[in-house]
Amino acid sequence: MMKRTNAPLAGVRIADFTIHAAGPYCTHLLSQLGAECIKIESRTRPDAFRKPHAVYGRMQAATFDQVSANKLSVRLNLKQAEAVALAKRLVAVSDVATESFRAGVMNRLGLGFEALREVKSDIVLLSLSSCGQSGPDSHFAGYAPLFGAWGGLGWMSGYSDGPPVEMRHVMDHSAGLHAAVATVAAMHQRRRTGLAQHVDLAAREVASAMIGDALVQASAGMTPVRPGNADLGMAPHGVYRTAKPDRWLTLAVRNDDEWGKLLQVLCRECSDVRFATAQGRLKHREDLDRLVSYWLATCDADAMAGRMQEAGLCAHVSWNMQDIASDPHLLARQALVEVRSPDIPPRLAVGAPGRFGGTDDVGIRRLTPTLGQDEDYVFGELLGLSSAQRSDLEAREIIY
Amino acid sequence: MAAMGADVVMLEPSGGSPLRHAAPLLDGTGDSALFTYLAVGKRSQVCDLDSAEGRLVLERELVHADILIDDTPLRDRARHGLDPALIGARHPGLVHVSVLPFGASGPKANWDGEEINLLHAGGEGFLLPNGLSHELFPDRPPLKIYGHFAGYQGGTMAALAALTAWWAVPVAGGQYVDVSVQDAVLSVGAFALQRLGDGSLEHRTSRRFRYGGVFEASDGYVELLTLEDRQWHGLVDLLGRPAWAEEESLSDPLERSRRGDEINGHVREWMRRHPVEEIVRRAQELGVPAAKYRTPMEVTQSEHERARGLFARSELESGGSVEVLVAPFQFRCSLLPGGGRVPALGEMDAVVLA
Repeated sequence: MMKRTNAPLAGVRIADFTIHAAGPYCTHLLSQLGAECIKIESRTRPDAFRKPHAVYGRMQAATFDQVSANKLSVRLNLKQAEAVALAKRLVAVSDVATESFRAGVMNRLGLGFEALREVKSDIVLLSLSSCGQSGPDSHFAGYAPLFGAWGGLGWMSGYSDGPPVEMRHVMDHSAGLHAAVATVAAMHQRRRTGLAQHVDLAAREVASAMIGDALVQASAGMTPVRPGNADLGMAPHGVYRTAKPDRWLTLAVRNDDEWGKLLQVLCRECSDVRFATAQGRLKHREDLDRLVSYWLATCDADAMAGRMQEAGLCAHVSWNMQDIASDPHLLARQALVEVRSPDIPPRLAVGAPGRFGGTDDVGIRRLTPTLGQDEDYVFGELLGLSSAQRSDLEAREIIY
Repeated sequence: MAAMGADVVMLEPSGGSPLRHAAPLLDGTGDSALFTYLAVGKRSQVCDLDSAEGRLVLERELVHADILIDDTPLRDRARHGLDPALIGARHPGLVHVSVLPFGASGPKANWDGEEINLLHAGGEGFLLPNGLSHELFPDRPPLKIYGHFAGYQGGTMAALAALTAWWAVPVAGGQYVDVSVQDAVLSVGAFALQRLGDGSLEHRTSRRFRYGGVFEASDGYVELLTLEDRQWHGLVDLLGRPAWAEEESLSDPLERSRRGDEINGHVREWMRRHPVEEIVRRAQELGVPAAKYRTPMEVTQSEHERARGLFARSELESGGSVEVLVAPFQFRCSLLPGGGRVPALGEMDAVVLA
């Protein structure tokens, strides 16, 4: 049995049916915050990271799976009615259930919201899907790049003269993050009302939420334009080449004061009257970008970012993951934590989603479970199944 | 938080939040589309923390507040009465969430950052664009995601921290939580760190689907991605079962990945001859994940989004109204009302003084 912790969500139990990216990230966040998360998979329906995904270039299962860390694992073959009955018993002793099947599948399995509410009158059910539980497209399947395409974020991202850009895992995980917020909000509502709630998160709507301002423009009859790296309110603003190959410096200058600081840091004078005001710099941003690119082309990006920050400018090197893994700041904040196990050599993982001053035990407490490793606790202790019953269920491929 | 029913009071300086004038602006009225999106349903109280009167307003608000969310730079906090320890001592039941570009602790806590800096500080900026955009423009700088993606991850993480700490109030009392936008970007980009741990340093040149991705159709762009075998077989059907796709060796996913460029070449050629809507409709019928790259106008006018009530009419500060996205989630047992109005600066001042 898991040790009860002092984390903020300690005592909250989640029956987690999600297996692909967005849902598991949501429940991973909640588990980092202290919830006990029971991951329900099967040999035929394992988490995405237990399988190779050649289309991503991943030719074998992941050795460490960030989003499965902290979770307990049980096997249930939901194609079998007895497994569905066990799943309901598990939901009955949980506070939250999470699922990311295509809309309608949970109902067909006998695990829809009404069925779960019958066994747990105040259940919070999170359904996380591409297009939501209602509407004409609700049966559409999709992954992160499709969410971005449907939601408009993909269209608005890209070079101004190029095609739209596909979103990757950050889109999945952003959907999971929003789902976590909505789930905790529903828990508060349950605490206040004693009633069940069905949270319906459509990942494509999360992508739309990322372009909320452009959607307001569209509603007002305007046609928002894809800005690339430009900003409508700041110039210079962009990603600039520096002396080392593929070492880019990001820079955002917000006002006249910062423009003056930039000239000081670069030891430059600028007599071009077009750039004397913020309005002028915005109007002539392309010429300005060429000038700033010329100024920065021979600099050391890392040293320059430090000097700019000291001067009060918004600058940062475009970091790859190795840069991030070596960053004393992220390590000091425990945004990066080292994880290890007998099977896993020391490696870095992403830490807790916030530094909590009043509750501890927030973060990663255990690593990726093997499939079904926590059935003694879940099926034995929580559901009260005997060893003989479990053996029988395994033999009949209900626990499978 | 406001969309979910919280009574959110924006404590603004006497000149108003800079967001009130932030681009993009609406033609004609000059309203900030960004501020409209972010401020609908909130209230406004002038609270100039450089003055004693303003700090008194803050104290009055905190007496009744459950949660304080603050993005004041660290160097200004003490003189603005926003020191976490002092606030915690005066308001022991309050959840105080700090959300800053690089967080409130650590060697870079005083660093400043805008969206473009933070997307790159968190690792995702370096990895964009991938796929077709990178193929077309391999020598261009990395590209940011539109708008405030990094900032919104930080903001949503702050909301999660706030609601979570509030959940623990009956047991632990109020507390201070330090959230960082950089941390949040790294968190949603965790997969790239996981790949690093597996010995693979991701780069936008190599982080691409071996096949699938963005395709130009005859009248727009399509996203297509087949991860499962059954989806691949559906794609072969969609393409009309051409001889190249029925080759036996391509039934092996590893072989398909090895020959991804060749597959994409065939798919591109086919896509260019067909209209987007037809491709997507047929693809979804066949169980092939495909979507149209929709413009903002198409999103606002979409039958699906309208059926789901994603937008609600809201009043602009200048008068008139627009539709504003309510929230990217629904509570099916108690629907969110949405809508409301953009608060005028200091609309609550008279109420408080009274």
